[in-house]
Amino acid sequence: MDSLSSAAASSQAVQRQVRVQLTSKQEDIALPENTGPILVPTGLRRYALSTLVNNLLGSDKPIPFEFLINGTFLRTSIDEYLTANGISAETTLEVEYVRALIPPLHIASFEHDDWVSSTDILSATSPAASWASSAVSQGQERILSGSYDGLLRVWDMSSQILAVSPAPAEGGHSASIKAAKFVTPNQIASAGLDRTVRLWKYVENDDGFSGKISPQLELFGHKSGINSLAVHAPLNRVLSASNDHTVGFWSTKKSDAPAAPEEALPSKASKSSKRRKLNPSVSTPQRGPLALFSGHTAPVSAAIFDAKDSTVGYSTSWDHTLRTWDLVTSALVDTRTTSHSLLSLEHLPEVHLLATGTSARHITLIDPRVSAATVAAMTLRGHTNAVVTLSRDPHSTYGLISGSHDGTCRIWDIRSTKTDKDGVVGESVYTISRKSLEEEGKADSKRVGGEGVKVFGVSWDKTVGIVSAGEDKRLQINRGEGVLPSKI
Amino acid sequence: MGASKKRKAVTRDVEEEAGVFSGDELNANDLDGALSDNANDLSDSEDDGSDSEIDLVDEFSDEDEDDEELDSDEVPSDDEDLVKKTKTTATKAVVLDRTSEDQDENSSDDEMPNFRIEKDANGNDRYVYDEINPDDNSDYSEVDENANTIGDIPLSFYDQYPHIGYSINGKKIMRPAKGEALDALLDSIEIPKGWTGLTDPSTGKPLELSQDELELLKKIQLNEIPQEGYNPYEPTVEWFTSKQEVMPLSAAPEPKRRFVPSKHEAKRVMKIVKAIREGRILPYKPPTEDQEADQYVAKYDLWADEAERPDHPMHVPAPKLPPPGYEESYHPPPEYLPDKKERKEWEETDPEDREKDFLANDFGSLRKVPGYETFVKEKFERCLDLYLAPRVRRSKLNIDPESLLPKLPSPEELKPFPTTCATVFRGHKGRVRSLSVDPSGVWLATGGDDGTVRVWELLTGRQLWSVKVSDEEAVNVVRWRPGKEAVVLAAASGDDIFLAVPPIVDPETEKASLELLDAGWGYAAPNPALSAADANKTTTPPQWIRPSSTLTEAGVCAVIPLKYVVKSISWHRRGDYFVTVCPGSSTPASVAISIHTVSKHLTQFPFRRRIKGGGPPQTAHFHPSKPILFVANQRTIRAYDLSRQLLVKILQPGARWISSFDIHPTSSTASGGDNVIIGSYDRRLLWHDVDLSARPYKTLRYHKKAIRAVKFHPGGRYPLFADASDDGSLQIFHGSVTGDMLSNASIVPLKVLKGHKITGELGVLDLDWHPREAWCVSAGADGTCRLWM
Repeated sequence: MDSLSSAAASSQAVQRQVRVQLTSKQEDIALPENTGPILVPTGLRRYALSTLVNNLLGSDKPIPFEFLINGTFLRTSIDEYLTANGISAETTLEVEYVRALIPPLHIASFEHDDWVSSTDILSATSPAASWASSAVSQGQERILSGSYDGLLRVWDMSSQILAVSPAPAEGGHSASIKAAKFVTPNQIASAGLDRTVRLWKYVENDDGFSGKISPQLELFGHKSGINSLAVHAPLNRVLSASNDHTVGFWSTKKSDAPAAPEEALPSKASKSSKRRKLNPSVSTPQRGPLALFSGHTAPVSAAIFDAKDSTVGYSTSWDHTLRTWDLVTSALVDTRTTSHSLLSLEHLPEVHLLATGTSARHITLIDPRVSAATVAAMTLRGHTNAVVTLSRDPHSTYGLISGSHDGTCRIWDIRSTKTDKDGVVGESVYTISRKSLEEEGKADSKRVGGEGVKVFGVSWDKTVGIVSAGEDKRLQINRGEGVLPSKI
Repeated sequence: MGASKKRKAVTRDVEEEAGVFSGDELNANDLDGALSDNANDLSDSEDDGSDSEIDLVDEFSDEDEDDEELDSDEVPSDDEDLVKKTKTTATKAVVLDRTSEDQDENSSDDEMPNFRIEKDANGNDRYVYDEINPDDNSDYSEVDENANTIGDIPLSFYDQYPHIGYSINGKKIMRPAKGEALDALLDSIEIPKGWTGLTDPSTGKPLELSQDELELLKKIQLNEIPQEGYNPYEPTVEWFTSKQEVMPLSAAPEPKRRFVPSKHEAKRVMKIVKAIREGRILPYKPPTEDQEADQYVAKYDLWADEAERPDHPMHVPAPKLPPPGYEESYHPPPEYLPDKKERKEWEETDPEDREKDFLANDFGSLRKVPGYETFVKEKFERCLDLYLAPRVRRSKLNIDPESLLPKLPSPEELKPFPTTCATVFRGHKGRVRSLSVDPSGVWLATGGDDGTVRVWELLTGRQLWSVKVSDEEAVNVVRWRPGKEAVVLAAASGDDIFLAVPPIVDPETEKASLELLDAGWGYAAPNPALSAADANKTTTPPQWIRPSSTLTEAGVCAVIPLKYVVKSISWHRRGDYFVTVCPGSSTPASVAISIHTVSKHLTQFPFRRRIKGGGPPQTAHFHPSKPILFVANQRTIRAYDLSRQLLVKILQPGARWISSFDIHPTSSTASGGDNVIIGSYDRRLLWHDVDLSARPYKTLRYHKKAIRAVKFHPGGRYPLFADASDDGSLQIFHGSVTGDMLSNASIVPLKVLKGHKITGELGVLDLDWHPREAWCVSAGADGTCRLWM
């Protein structure tokens, strides 16, 4: 080691040098023995440092690394970093290195008949599989899509449709689906503009090339379209966010659920029943909500379970508030008011933050804990239209992905920041644009209002990658190949 | 002449009468009657009827009558009733006609006898003719005494006679003398030689000049030299050469005395010095007699008694010239001397543009300084400056121009407001004429040239419902019913208004909405069946009818056929009434504005007559909180109190053609007064403080083309308003109204939203705000709607 550092020192004797202590929290890329501080020239940037670490590791295939100093990514040379932060070159820098995110590359696009509103992934690493008793085997990953034509589709990775939900006449959704989720590998929840939450039984044939989605339960209670769903399989609970200003709390079990409210059933409305010819062939059990949380004063855009404590739910609404609910007592615990309509929600449990996408084109990170002094911990800026969907990074507790009506998905790392006039704001690490635009040869052209390419749903899984659904009638799968440690 | 004057007077009189009547608030019958009477009189007086001729005989007898009539004509008594009036005018007409009769009279004179028959001495009839008295116009003229009376014969007949004819008195007119005769006479008179006609003053005899003397005089007259034989052009003799020789004539050296001081001179100088020392010579002469005499010439020393004046604002001392500097020196330091380039530059610039009037010049010594050539000019100009230049103390305003601008907050502080296009709603074929965001803020309704009404999901731009209400007519306006308990959409296409319940809501609300619309069918029946005559009258309120089965299936519940094209719908805040306006110019005034009651299926026409001034009504809105209806026609906006049925306010924005207006949703409750914004086709956006003045408080002219729609943010949550223009842009303004009556509303332009393409000279046709958020939507002529957030 000494020879290496001395060689580096002699070659760049004119430059300043700084002592760095390289560490990593990941076992497989930790340095072989406890190397002491290394003297490196301050002119080095990320790439040079990455080469250095690869040399030290002696790995045959170079792994790109990112370097964290005091919790933020190194984006400049070390020298500039030291100057900007007023750190003396005499001190020893604690530098943590992590695997760099590989630019997610387009893998495949699944074409639909109509706009795709939502998507979910079933894989060995997805929450639905983790909750289930039977693990999903390798190569049996499934992708669920809910579309504006009112149909759910289950795809395998080779872009084959394994199953399609029944038409409205056979107990399917009578209007567009806005949210769809795997509850377990065999159960699907979906909701949409027809004001119902539906639970489906998904059975695959043994050959694994076809399956069947059959209605299991219809949940009535909302008075207006449902925007999003959150499921929690161990508790058999579903949260729904509706335009009627309420958050629905449902049970997936027929036996648990109370009877459906009479007035919400479509058969009660004389006119619509005439028109719609309600399911004559299939009779699905109809149930009502466990509770409808009212408190919001505008359409509720998203509702989720707390990732750690399943008795806590969060919801965001167009009324600018983020509300915390105690699911056991159905009580409103806390209200956080922001200055914009909130359109999406995701929980980052490790850093105790809630990420919420706003109509003002940014993502606000909110600390939901009562002790938190400020409402907005950080703002992530970069989108050019409303941010309507969010998903956690399965690899990192600091990462997330957002989908916006501007037709892009952006990957964020909350440690990647820059200082703006508004303080510290987050920068996106990568931007995924729609493949459909590139295919039309208009990859560079900017669509006004994301016309035709709006992203409605995004989902990120360790195995499958990033799946986004949009107005271009496609599911788009992107994956950074090198990211995956298991090298599928 | 007199007759035509009179006639004019009469007609004017009648016109005035008519004017008075039309201006007064008389009931229609009186007015009609009065106007028609006058008209008859006029026609009577104008034709030359036979009855007036009969009257003529009476009129002739007394001349005074004419004057009398004139009097009564010129000064009509005020209390004269109409009947009498008409009578006098009739008689006047008679008088007028008389002149024409006068003219006729002359022509009939020939038939009358111009002699009278008398008895002479013999008792026979004797015709005595009237004396012919030729007046000025007669053909007889004064005869010239000496005129030749020979008649129409050639003068040559008299050639051999000394006379050429005879005068009227028989005297011969002698032939006048001819030129030849005169010459002969003159020749007969002899002039002596040398006769001049002058008298020699010395002798007293006639002065006679000899031939030589006459020739001398002639030469002097011709400016010649009188001497005989003098040649003025003799060749010159060069006595001295004009050529200069190179060598001097003498090469002798300069004598020494030229270089040594003259002793003689020194002696003389010493003599003078000595005399001065002794006081015999005074170096300065005492003023001589001449100079003393000059003192009597009036001299004025302007500055003799000039005292130090106290500093007074009205006294401006003459400006002083700056003292000379180094540059003006005859021997300035070398750094002040211009180099070649500077000199050239100075010479090339125009004297007017030169920075300084001179160039520094080094003469070495003072005696080498030449005369200052511009001295006179400079002094002259200085004098001109002193006495011609007006000297005014200029009070310079020390005001920072920035401070005069009103303190407007920066747009950053006034966030949120819409800045970018978030969604494009594409689907309409042809123009989108109107749009509306529903009270819950989830849906957007649009109507366009393709005759369809569509409902969209606001955020995503997904079309949820569409119905084609008309095949050929465009949908001119769509408006959601306010209130959240029911979802009803009113749309106007062509002559019909459609009330629809889009099937996008939950069964419960849908049922409530349907019940709301169905409740009125019962009320329609009690109306008595109308007779055929009544039905034809335009003012009969229309009956609400059920739509066709296809429309019913699509969700339309009721149709109001109005017979005229509806361009504006505005709901009352409770959702039971809405007012519609048919602005077409052919629409009868009585049915242009109608108020519809949903619960009773009742249509009423509140205005019987057209609003005075400003053309047909354009649009109408209910006041957001009070029972007041605002109606705009092309130039004014009137506010009617519906409970008292009174006109309470007239706003005169000064626009030529109002396109739309909106009433501030909360200002009447917050500050006690209403604020109204008005958009006009002549590109103006006007802010009215209703209590402040009938004139606009602010006029904003930022658009290049007509403004089509203006709208306040509803609910008053955000103090925003916007306008949509034909130039394809929307402009967003901050307009906050304070509760304080003393402070004015502050208006800040925030953002121009561009994106709509101009199609067929039209840009943005309508706009609406989201009920809660600072989002707005716009309908474009390019067939798209846009959501801005």
